[in-house]
Amino acid sequence: MKRSITLTSALALTLAISGAALAQNGNGNGNGNGRGNGNGGGDNARQERGNGNGGENRGGGNDNRGGDNGRGDDRMERQVEGRIPDVARDMARSQDRMERDVRREVEQRVVVDNGVVVLRREANRGMMNGCPPGLAKRDNGCLPPGQARQIERARDPYNRYNYVWRTLGGDGDYQYRDGYVYRTTPQGGLLGYLPVLGGILSPGNTWPSQYAYQQPPQSLSQYYGLTDGAQYRYADGVLYRVDPQTSSIGQVAALLTGQQFNVGQRLPAGYDVYNVPYAYRDQYADSARSQYRYNDGNVYQVDPTTQLVQAVIQLLT
Amino acid sequence: MNNQRLWALAPLMVLCLAGCGRDADKAGPDGVAAPSNQTLAAAIADEGDLDMLEGVVRNGGLSEVLEGKGPYTVFAPVNAALGTAGSELGDEAMKAQSAALLRAHIVPGALTRADIEAALARGGADGVQMRTMSDGLLTFSKDGDVVVVTAADGATARLTGAETVVSNGVVQPVDGVLVKAE
Repeated sequence: MKRSITLTSALALTLAISGAALAQNGNGNGNGNGRGNGNGGGDNARQERGNGNGGENRGGGNDNRGGDNGRGDDRMERQVEGRIPDVARDMARSQDRMERDVRREVEQRVVVDNGVVVLRREANRGMMNGCPPGLAKRDNGCLPPGQARQIERARDPYNRYNYVWRTLGGDGDYQYRDGYVYRTTPQGGLLGYLPVLGGILSPGNTWPSQYAYQQPPQSLSQYYGLTDGAQYRYADGVLYRVDPQTSSIGQVAALLTGQQFNVGQRLPAGYDVYNVPYAYRDQYADSARSQYRYNDGNVYQVDPTTQLVQAVIQLLT
Repeated sequence: MNNQRLWALAPLMVLCLAGCGRDADKAGPDGVAAPSNQTLAAAIADEGDLDMLEGVVRNGGLSEVLEGKGPYTVFAPVNAALGTAGSELGDEAMKAQSAALLRAHIVPGALTRADIEAALARGGADGVQMRTMSDGLLTFSKDGDVVVVTAADGATARLTGAETVVSNGVVQPVDGVLVKAE
């Protein structure tokens, strides 16, 4: 029963994805044709995403993917041959300059890789310039109405937990105020601010209109079961459920690293330990020929010697 | 008479064989016990030495995530490791800080101790690394028989107690907080 449901889902997904080449052979290794990508190799049956644009060691689909292990015949995965280019573009379109800037920023952040929308985690964590709406920029940061209140808060005992914001990386000092984290120079000059999980990005709050987000690719929605008609927004490693009418934040749907890797790309640091979900361990066990690593709903097959990604396996359940 | 008794035992023998088969299935491919039906959130709530962490999880708004699909591995500071921070981070005003701290203790996928040990055996003297949900790196190394976890800022902890393998991940108790408090 489980298997039939799975296959039905897979078929439905197949129909839903226009132009996406899914795994067609019995071994689940996905020989479908990748989308045209302008590198002259569009008819190469072994191309996967990552050939052509973006430029960081993505050239040349790895052809060392011949199905040699019979996997995938009845499992809930398919190769990444294409993803729906459902790009997050519903940012505000009003006339003022600030919103135009925001829109431009969104367009820069959404990375369309070979027709595939991939989630990205910005190096600066999506930190924004200036002050949040309603707060005025002062020499030492963004002040809410009533400077005395701000000064009082600056002395509060919880300032000693500002150290947790160092996990955001980058230089400068961090302070948390009213749902936002502010990054400042040691002298107090404001470098940027960031809406944070548990702060302004909490259930019941409205999504900050100026804060860029991405909509998750369909494969991720499928994996996490995000099929309830709500809108889901990804920003800085967190997937939020959001009411599409009111932009009110609901639950936190998932934590993600926001990292996705392409075939032929070297696996980055941070995936040294075998971490495949338990239900898939029989199928994707490390061997002398391949290693398997899980991240954000995908299992990556990796060459143990070169650490190059050999295949990307989307888990659908 | 003896034959009759033997035949009477036959159904029990069949049951035993079937039961034995199920027991064998409980061991995973790497010899680790199969996951329980619990979730990460429930496993943390059930473990007395993770009481404070449970409060931080709840305050940080991550209970639903740890009840959800996952899988994640939570490096779970025990009560003594969290200390004062454990109670203060349970404060309503500290939701964001709680969430930020927790994200630095969560990595994608299911990491059993056997997996970590195996990676260390493969990985050489410099240790092996995993990426956290706060986009940092945790480095694992050995100190004698103990597995040590070191965060990018130098915070260290040791794996302690027993791991709990659950339906949506693994809880790995640690004796320290993986963000340096300074």
